[in-house]
Amino acid sequence: MVFSSLFFLYVFLPICLFCYYICKTIEQKNIVLIAASLIFYAWGEPVWVSLLVISAFVNWFASRLIGYLKKEPKKKLVAAAAIVFDLALLIVFKYSGFIVENINAVTGLGIPVPEIVMPIGISFFTFQAISYIMDCLWGTVKPQKKYINFLLYLSLFPQLVAGPIVRYSVIDEEITNRKIRAVDISEGAKRAILGIAKKVIIANNLYAVVEQFFGTDITNLSFCGTWYTVILYSLYVYFDFSGYSDIAIGLGRMFGFHFNENFNYPFICKTISEFWQRWHISLSSFFRDYLFYVPIFGKPRKYFNLFLVWFCTGMWHGASWNFIFWGLYFGLFIFIETKIGKKRLKKWNKVWTHIYSKIIIVIGFGIFYFTDLGQLGRFFMNISGLSMITNGNEFSDILTRDSLINNLFLIIFAIIVSMPILEKVKYFFYKWGNNTVYAAGQLGGTLICCALLIISSILLVDNTNNPFLYFRF
Amino acid sequence: MENKEVQSVKKRKRKKGLNNIPRKGVERGFAIISLMIIVPIFFVAALLMVILPRPEVSEIEKRKLAGMPEFTFDSYFSGEYTAGLTEHYDDTVPYRDDLKNVGYSFKSLFGIHTEDEVKVVGKPSVIKPVGDNKDGQSEASEPDAAENSKTESQQSGENPGTESQPEHSREESSQETSQESSEDEEVTVENGIIVVKNNGHYRALELFGGGSGSTYAEALNNFHKDLGDSVKIYSMVAPLASEYYTPASYSDFNASQKDSIKSIESKLDKDIVSIDITDVLGEHKDEEIYFRTDHHWTPLGAYYAAETFAKAAGLSFKDLSTYKKNDMEGFVGTMYGFTEDANLNNDPEVFSYYTPGNIDKCMTYYYTTDFEYTGKGRFFNGVGDVRSAYLTFMGGDEQVVKVKTDVKNGKKLLIVKDSYGNAIPGYLFGSYEEIYVVDMRYFGLNLVDFVKQNNVTDMLFTMVSYSAVGDNADNLENLRTQAKGRKIVDEGLKDED
Repeated sequence: MVFSSLFFLYVFLPICLFCYYICKTIEQKNIVLIAASLIFYAWGEPVWVSLLVISAFVNWFASRLIGYLKKEPKKKLVAAAAIVFDLALLIVFKYSGFIVENINAVTGLGIPVPEIVMPIGISFFTFQAISYIMDCLWGTVKPQKKYINFLLYLSLFPQLVAGPIVRYSVIDEEITNRKIRAVDISEGAKRAILGIAKKVIIANNLYAVVEQFFGTDITNLSFCGTWYTVILYSLYVYFDFSGYSDIAIGLGRMFGFHFNENFNYPFICKTISEFWQRWHISLSSFFRDYLFYVPIFGKPRKYFNLFLVWFCTGMWHGASWNFIFWGLYFGLFIFIETKIGKKRLKKWNKVWTHIYSKIIIVIGFGIFYFTDLGQLGRFFMNISGLSMITNGNEFSDILTRDSLINNLFLIIFAIIVSMPILEKVKYFFYKWGNNTVYAAGQLGGTLICCALLIISSILLVDNTNNPFLYFRF
Repeated sequence: MENKEVQSVKKRKRKKGLNNIPRKGVERGFAIISLMIIVPIFFVAALLMVILPRPEVSEIEKRKLAGMPEFTFDSYFSGEYTAGLTEHYDDTVPYRDDLKNVGYSFKSLFGIHTEDEVKVVGKPSVIKPVGDNKDGQSEASEPDAAENSKTESQQSGENPGTESQPEHSREESSQETSQESSEDEEVTVENGIIVVKNNGHYRALELFGGGSGSTYAEALNNFHKDLGDSVKIYSMVAPLASEYYTPASYSDFNASQKDSIKSIESKLDKDIVSIDITDVLGEHKDEEIYFRTDHHWTPLGAYYAAETFAKAAGLSFKDLSTYKKNDMEGFVGTMYGFTEDANLNNDPEVFSYYTPGNIDKCMTYYYTTDFEYTGKGRFFNGVGDVRSAYLTFMGGDEQVVKVKTDVKNGKKLLIVKDSYGNAIPGYLFGSYEEIYVVDMRYFGLNLVDFVKQNNVTDMLFTMVSYSAVGDNADNLENLRTQAKGRKIVDEGLKDED
């Protein structure tokens, strides 16, 4: 089930909220949440919901063993076994086709390519399970005693299929002991509405433009057309994915959970390293904590681990070479930035670092878009301007011009919302003013959210099918 | 003493003000107020979606909306059932079309509106010189699967089938209708659509990808071979509106339809009469010869085409002044659904059609696409919804029609057409004794047998350029070769006066 569907918004969610709030005890509420989460998942994966339940059981059982065992090597062995199990799931369901295709390509063997359809959200819940096992091993969290509570953690539907990758430590306490306050419900609802609006009003409409230009052969696309489209695509990915995270965080809060932020206005970054501290934070911090600082092959090797992390980051995004290039591409720039040094980078003119980082990020999203390597090659020819020489492509074209005119306000609005301007406005109402100012801000915010909900719902009428981008991963 | 009392009263009063309440309390209070605003909106919307009646057809998209899926264990475990349930719910939102109109109006706020604005829909690509082209749509960029699915679902069923069919043929408009019609000719081979503003009105134009029409020409030549000289064959390909109204700035994206028609002409046998109407229509382009909001020409445009055909065939032809003009106001055609452009919806036009003077002396007989007789009635039918006004002619495409006129000249015409051709027959009621109308996409019998057994004297192939140079042309050869040697019985003869 996707969040941005009328069925979710007006059938699943109201029933779920109603059942949740009429329950009195946390135990009852948890059972409602587990049932809702399993129904939510089974709606799209009626068979593979079993995989989720089994995966939860295996990881919970391993964590119990880790807690029970006294000797470190034995603990490590159990943890390793659980992680191998998790990674095996991922490899079988997500990468087996890709691996076989590449083996065939290299060796010329005609091994039949397995046609396995990847269960949605497997990348997310598997990573959550791995982080939990590692935390149990390191003793940063206590293994959960009850399977049902662990199942709730892993299957919690707001974050189940497209993140953020919530650490167990973040909601450990709240699983059994949480207060559902009016402020949480109200703020959570508003946050979720903002997320839906980001997806439906901004992301979907940006994507329509992107598809118009990139969804066909781009050989003859002009220089400006390529830049225009890839910039819109970058904005689209941000709004699509951060919108989803907003909905997840908002819904979580309505149920009394406080997830960590997943995005922090990534486009205001000055360096690529900073970008990744602001973009998909739960994933980059996962790799930082569970891969980068972990001595996998003997002692930790900084630069080897750096590229390993970025290889894995790319690979995580999809079983396709362009994602691996995408990860390594960012790894390369972070490597260069590390070599230059933070202090020296800070001294550089801010205007230039902003321009540098935006160009690298935007081109990066081009790599992210084109899973077809032939199209990716043409993209590089176009964006570098080389195709103006080799293929006689135009500098600009009328389609780009008219598209810009037809979508100018949408694009300006998207850019404004991607900056922390609204955050500042909110801060003003919350911190600077007295209670009257706060009240005015609250009322204004509520009315805006109602308007956004209505507009988004109306636009959803025209979107009988609009899956979220991040369902692919 | 008194002063102190007054002060303490004032103090107490001040304490009651909003600014003197602890922030936490205010936060909680306003959280509750916020919820009192949001929750009712949310739950009322959810409730309305349950209790309000759900539509079954979308008039804008001209299609049947997703029905309720049937539960089976297979469909459940394959995920089809739950997906179908979601689709049914999302697809049949109460007041769907009205809400879509509001949504499109909202989207029109995204950009700047200028006097010479152009909105682009789809993925037009620059047209390469004709020499590079293979036949058909080769140079039009192939729409991707996602777009196809949306476009098809939107366009499927030019013929909504349920309410606009003539009485007798209503039963025939089965559920398959919307499926089959998804192969509609004019938009599958498009090179994108542009919506332009000229003379203060919005007009949607399908850009033409170009093509040489070899398949079409070859099929006609084969018909000629099979039928010999006893049947005179005419070819009249209709250009799209984009031939005349495309702004100069978009000419690179729009191939010349005259070139395609010339190319077809050069490939046709000499005995086949090719009628080029591009210039004739061009002379009248300041009149309303094409709809601005629909993908068809207007009945007026068809009149000029029919007149040109009559001249070429040496037929007697009545002037337009002898026809009765019928107006239907508020017509917004198919292009609104395709382009989702609110400007088209807000700029409706008048659907005018012309009925000949001898209409009362003419009888129209309706048959299924396999020529099973279904009943007789009028050629021009009333339609329930003005948005389906183009169904006025014979109620759509999915039947074979025979018109018996009051003319006694022994001439029998068979028109092989797509939906463009629907507007032609009405102008020939004074020129032929009998007119058969066959849709090239749906006819189920062998057309050579049909022509021979019904003693047809003239055959007119008339369709829009997309059909002639695109995939639809493949149907023509099928019509010639399919279901050969069957005896064709006209049950309608029993019903003739």
